[in-house]
Amino acid sequence: MPVLHARKKMTTNNRSRNRALLHFVVLPLLFLTVTLLGGLRINADDHAFIFVAPPLVTLLLAVLLMPLFVRGRLIEIDRWVASDRSPLTNISSVWMLLTLFFASAQAFNSVLPERGLLHWLFSFFFLWTLWNNQFSLFDARRLLRSLTVLFGTAFVLKHLLLASLYSSDGGLLKKLAGALLQGVSLGTLDAPAFAPATGYISFFTLALYVAGLVLLTFASDDDVDDAVQTEQLAQRESALVDRES
Amino acid sequence: MKSKVIQVAGLVLTIAYAALIIWIYATEPRTFKEVATSAEVGSGTYQINQEKFDAGHALFLREQFRAARDEWQRADPAQGDARTQFYIAYSFYREGWGRVYYDQDLFKQGLEAANRAANLAATAQLIIDDPNLQMHTIAELKAELEQGMERSWSDVSPLKVLRARK
Repeated sequence: MPVLHARKKMTTNNRSRNRALLHFVVLPLLFLTVTLLGGLRINADDHAFIFVAPPLVTLLLAVLLMPLFVRGRLIEIDRWVASDRSPLTNISSVWMLLTLFFASAQAFNSVLPERGLLHWLFSFFFLWTLWNNQFSLFDARRLLRSLTVLFGTAFVLKHLLLASLYSSDGGLLKKLAGALLQGVSLGTLDAPAFAPATGYISFFTLALYVAGLVLLTFASDDDVDDAVQTEQLAQRESALVDRES
Repeated sequence: MKSKVIQVAGLVLTIAYAALIIWIYATEPRTFKEVATSAEVGSGTYQINQEKFDAGHALFLREQFRAARDEWQRADPAQGDARTQFYIAYSFYREGWGRVYYDQDLFKQGLEAANRAANLAATAQLIIDDPNLQMHTIAELKAELEQGMERSWSDVSPLKVLRARK
């Protein structure tokens, strides 16, 4: 019986430690990596790094996304930040939310065309989708699926279709667009040409972001500082066992 | 207790990482080499390539100003050495100086380099002990460059051909 009890205690301790590690270390690091890579482009000519700071519209999109996370129970704000939690836990949780906010902004930045009419078209469709979602019923799983499809579509449009349209060697799509839009200026659809590595970086960034959101559902399953509570409980239990024996 | 350790470690680690990301976006390095150079500047261990600096100085004395600047830019890729930036500004001054008129573009670039040198030497006054130069401080060089960029009635004076290059 004591062996079983000790094993159960160890399992609970390990679980709570792993959750704390995920919540306070892994997820912020992951979201910060998305923040770093979301604005990274590679120049097509000299393969130099170009860091694109998040445009104002991406911050707005991230603001619209945060209530969706709360409504979808991906973020359990009332359990993460509360007056009965220790100040350190509250600070850590707010910090995690901040990293999630900037990762969201940079994930949008990664799939938005950098300038021109397409930038505003993409921004408008993102805004429209997120605004409509504010009034839909969501759970964590449906929200994740919806976001994966949203980012996936934008990724395909920007890094496959548009990249082909603006490639210097002139892909099939460029010839097709040239034939269709003969006589129409593409000046308003102007977009900078980046090296193919930019697409790979964006793919990796979005994969990390979605993985982070999936992990977030695991992190929000339990109280964030339950390792402390578990330890206190274990001490009380061992004291009781000692008294009985 | 272990949870508290994880929280503190996580906060410290991620705040440091966030600071690194802000620094990268602020400095906008173009290559991994520039990242390393910027890090050296940030940590105070940055040193210019003395060989290239000397090669630039030799070219400067032979009045090959563009080649000299090219060498100095390679010697100080991070533009983090006040002395090198002073010499770059001086080469712009000497190349842009003319008996009849001053090249405004070169003087403007010279002033930018002089300002960089002034910012880098903000804590201590930089005195260049070089007998081949007639101006030894950033203030003198800046004043000369600024004066050259100003428009005044003295510009039409025929006596200005008697001015001497410093």
